[in-house]
Formats: sequence, structure tokens, C-alpha cells
Amino acid sequence: MDIIFLEELFFTIAFIGYTLAAVLFFIFVALKSEKLGRFAVILTTIGFGIHTIAIILRVIESGRLPFTNQFEFATSFAWGIVLCYLVLHYAYKFTGVGAFVMPIAFLVMGYASMLPKTIKPLMPALQSGWLYLHVGTAVVSYGAFAVAAGLAFMYLIGEKQRKSGDGKSVLPKSEVCDYLSYRVIAFGYLMLTLVIVTGAIWAKAAWSRYWAWDPKETWSLITWLIYSVYIHLRFNRGWKGRPAALFAVIGFICVIFTFIGVNTILPSIHSYR
Amino acid sequence: MGNLIVSFQFDDVYSSIVFLILMGLFMINLIGCTLKILPGQLRKMKDSYYPQPKVDGENLHVKNMNGENFKNILERKRFKVTLTENGFKASKHRIGNIGSSITHLGIIIIVLGSFLSGIFAEEGFFNMVPGDVKSFPDYGFSLKLDDFYLDFKENGSVDQYNSVVTVTELGQDPYQKTLWVNNPLKVKSLNFYQTTYGWGSRLMIEDDEGKLIETKLLRNGESHFYQNEHLSIYLYGFFPNMTITQMGEPITMTEEKINPHYAVMLYEFGQHIGNYILEPGQPIDYGESIMYFEDSILYTGLTYRKDFGYFFVLAGSILMTLGIILSFYFYPKFIVMEDNSVKTVTRQNTWGFNYQVKRLVEDSIAKEE
Repeated sequence: MDIIFLEELFFTIAFIGYTLAAVLFFIFVALKSEKLGRFAVILTTIGFGIHTIAIILRVIESGRLPFTNQFEFATSFAWGIVLCYLVLHYAYKFTGVGAFVMPIAFLVMGYASMLPKTIKPLMPALQSGWLYLHVGTAVVSYGAFAVAAGLAFMYLIGEKQRKSGDGKSVLPKSEVCDYLSYRVIAFGYLMLTLVIVTGAIWAKAAWSRYWAWDPKETWSLITWLIYSVYIHLRFNRGWKGRPAALFAVIGFICVIFTFIGVNTILPSIHSYR
Repeated sequence: MGNLIVSFQFDDVYSSIVFLILMGLFMINLIGCTLKILPGQLRKMKDSYYPQPKVDGENLHVKNMNGENFKNILERKRFKVTLTENGFKASKHRIGNIGSSITHLGIIIIVLGSFLSGIFAEEGFFNMVPGDVKSFPDYGFSLKLDDFYLDFKENGSVDQYNSVVTVTELGQDPYQKTLWVNNPLKVKSLNFYQTTYGWGSRLMIEDDEGKLIETKLLRNGESHFYQNEHLSIYLYGFFPNMTITQMGEPITMTEEKINPHYAVMLYEFGQHIGNYILEPGQPIDYGESIMYFEDSILYTGLTYRKDFGYFFVLAGSILMTLGIILSFYFYPKFIVMEDNSVKTVTRQNTWGFNYQVKRLVEDSIAKEE
């Protein structure tokens, strides 16, 4: 068995693991069964371990980190989402968060599974140490925004449950969802800032200009501005709860467009297929 | 509609007056906002400043907790503790107060740097074949291209583009450097970047006795007018490793000279008279002339740029990042313990800070037990 076969096998197992975990998390929220919740977390953790092995195998085969085409970024993005979720889970023990984050990881893994997985040699423009800092911070940043969007969804659903008078809920208190979503966005925002700054420094070394209004640059700036507005409205205007949650979801839609839309719709020097 | 787009410069929107005015207004807004909030932030950095906890704020005090233990734990966590009549106050990370102002200052410097780049940056582009010299008299040096070569990977794709140049500065011994993508060359204040490359193909025109009449180096897509026969010789492309697609189009599989061919079109008085796929040296007989492409050499395309605005952008970016870190991870935290009350005050992360302090309160009991 060659490494590529094993990588695809582990990727598929991780995908199945995430899918099952997402379904279990839903059932856990619906039936309020703690046991199911614990099982979903275990499944997510195992899936994450297997996904990590798949990524390591790709690193061994290609001799570099998997950051150079749409498939590699998508699988890393999904990995970043699950990593952020697990960190949050093991820090605060909010199992219900998985019901809102794992479906996003499932969708990103599904998108990755549809992309060509061939390992291509690193093109000259990407042969730089900045690649790992620039794309590595993007993986973590996008992952954090996905988790924040999941938390925002959870807030909105929790709000609905309370309105309908459903007393017992396995979801964390809405105040907690609101604060966690904000803190995760703050982390993602710092990482996105680093993505843009490292990208500018790298662009200066590779393309002569630190900023050229390439669609990817412009859209990452738009995303950064949207989250800047979110932070300002929250901090200075006291935007919390529902409007903040809706804003977090809009910000994540922007992230998805920057990631997928720009690469597929707009002509960009960042379109590494 | 088109006129409207052009008159508002929307075809080059980021250089348009509208965009510049918006950026100017944004700067005024940001500077004004920062100047407005900064005095208050500086005041809050002083040790004498303590905000009042909310009357209805959550009381984290628990039974059995030992105030002295709690104070010691806070001191170990680098809180600055001040004793009061009924207890103590503790503060940490007052520096975080100015996080937002530092972030704003960073953004202001970035925008200033980008304006400086827009006004003062010098940029240019040139092509060279080995042997060519490009002078920069204003800077007192010249570049000579000694060699330009491609590195290939196992699958035949290009691994790297390398330009080997000799730099001759006034009053100094010449020295040789190689630049490639991601490895620019700096000479004085000018940076040179490997930007593009291509093939230059040597067209030879001879008479029927083999005597050379004309020769010209053509790039792909260029044509040469040969007056004697009123011919335009158009080089559609040089394909170093040619194959023909199902659509009948010539393409190259790699840039290695494995199966080199030229796609050529001839026009006489503007009328198309023929298409040819030629090997190097393979002639086209036309009238009393023979035409062929002898060989092809690689040319390099280099960009040069001088831009001191970049250093402002870099400094601004570092400040901005630092400001964001201060704002979110070194935000000011206050704890007030008086009688049977422990309350926290922070604007950034009330829930998270309360969560941490609750744990510290629990630690103070555990320690006692």
C-alpha cells in the first residue's frame, strides 16, 4: 500500500467520523442524552486524530505542509475547525457546541473530497518560508471564525428554545454562547490580521508590491473590516446577543466567499487550483 | 454608462479621487477618534484608577474562602494588589487600555505608508537576454545578464527561474548575484524581482544562394516585415516540447527543449498565405528567399521597485498587531474584595474573566483545606 492510498483512506475515515459525530451531536441536542454527547465528542476526537494522520502522510509524501492548492487548504481548514472546537470543548466542556460546529466541518470536508487530490510540486511563487506562516494562520483563523459562527447559531437556536418555553436544554447559556463567540472571533481576528500582514510581507518579496488589490487581498480586507465593525459595535455600542450573532454569521459567509468564491469566480493570482 | 465609469475613475477605483477622499475622511475619523479616547485610556493606566464594580454584578465570594490566600494567589498571578479599609483591590494588564489606540496608530501609519508608496514609489519592468546590459545612471550602477536558466522538477514542470546578473557599481569591483522568484536582489535602494520569462526565437532570412539577408529575434506573438517579398512573418509561438491538442492547437508540455517546434504564419500584403509547423532550421522557401528559425533562447523579465513607503506599512502592521494583542489578551482586569464580596470589572471579556476568577476563588479554598 502506498502512502497516497493510505492518506485517502484516512481522509475518508475521518470524513465518515466527522459526519457521524455531526449526526450524533444533533441527536444529543434533540434527545438531551449526555451519553450520546460524550460519544460524539469521542468520535470527533478519534476523527481528528485520523485526519491528522492523513495530513501527516501527505506531508511525508509531498515533503511540505499541505497548503498549496484548494484541496490541501480545504482539508487543513476542516482540520483547523475541528481543532478549534476541541480546544474549546476541553477548556469549557460545552458538548452542545459540536452540534453547530461539526456540520460546518462536515461541509468543508465534503467540499475537499470533491476536489482533485493530486500532489503537485511547489510552484516557484510558493517556494518561501512565508507560505507556512501565511496559510497556517489562515487555517487557524478560518477555523476560529467557523467555530464562532457555530456558537452564534447556537445562540440563535437557544434563544428560540427559550421563547418556546423549552426549559431543559443541553446547550450552554446564551450569555456563554455570546461571550465565547466574541472571544473566538477576537482570536480569529488576530490570526486574520497576521494572515494579511504576512501576506503583504511575502508579496513584497515575491511580487515586488505589498498590496496590489488582488481579489483575494481585497476580500480578506473586506472580511477583516466586517469583523472590525463587529468588534467596535460590540465594544462601543454594546451590541450583544442576537445582532452580534447575526453579524458573526455574516462574517463567516464572507470568510467562505474569500476562500471558495474568490478562487472559483474571480480572476486572482491567488487561485492555486 | 461607460463615460460615467471613466469620469469617476471606476476603471481604476483604488486610485480614483472618490476612493482617496474616502480614505482621507477615514483617516480624519480615525485620528479624531484616537485623540478623543487616548486621554481617558492614559488616565486609566494610572495605579490610582479603579473602576467601581456594578452593584448588581455577580458576587463570586463563596463560603469558607480565605481572603489572604486569595490575595496571595492573585499576587502570584501578577495582579497588583492594593489594600483598602475592608479588603483589597487588585489590577492587572492596565497596559491593555491603550491597545485600541496602538491599533489605530498602526492603521494610520499603514495608510500613510500606502500614500507615500503611491506618490514616491518608482517601478519599472524590462526584459533581457544573456549578454544584455541595463543601466541605472541615476543610481550609479548597471546590470548585465550573464545567464538565465530554468530548474526543472522530475515531472518536467518548472522548479525555479534563475537570472544570473553581474552588478557594476561606480567605483566598485563588479560582483555576480543570482535572483529567483522569492529571492529579490537589492542594489542600492532598488529591489529587482524575477517576474516573467519567455522565449526569443532567431529568425534567419537568406537568399537562394544561402547568403544571410536579415536576422531578427522574435518573441512569441511578434512578427517581422520582410520588405523584399512584402512578407509579414508572424511567430505564433515557439513550443520547446510540442504536442498537438485534439482541437489541432500546438501546445508545449514542458519548457524543456525535447521536441522544439515553431508555429509560423505568413502574410503577403496583409493576406494570409500559409501556416507552418517547423523544426529548428527547417526552411520555408518563398520566392527567392529562404526563411527559418535557427534556435531559441530564454529571456528574463525583471521588475524593479523602490518604495520606502513599505517600511511605514511594515512598522504600522507590527504596531497594529501589537495593539490587537494588547486589546484582546492583555485587557485590563480588576478585582475588588471587600467584606463578603468579590466582584470583577473588565470591559473586554466579563464572562471569561469571571470564569477564571471563580477558579482562583476555588483554588484559595482548596489551598486552605
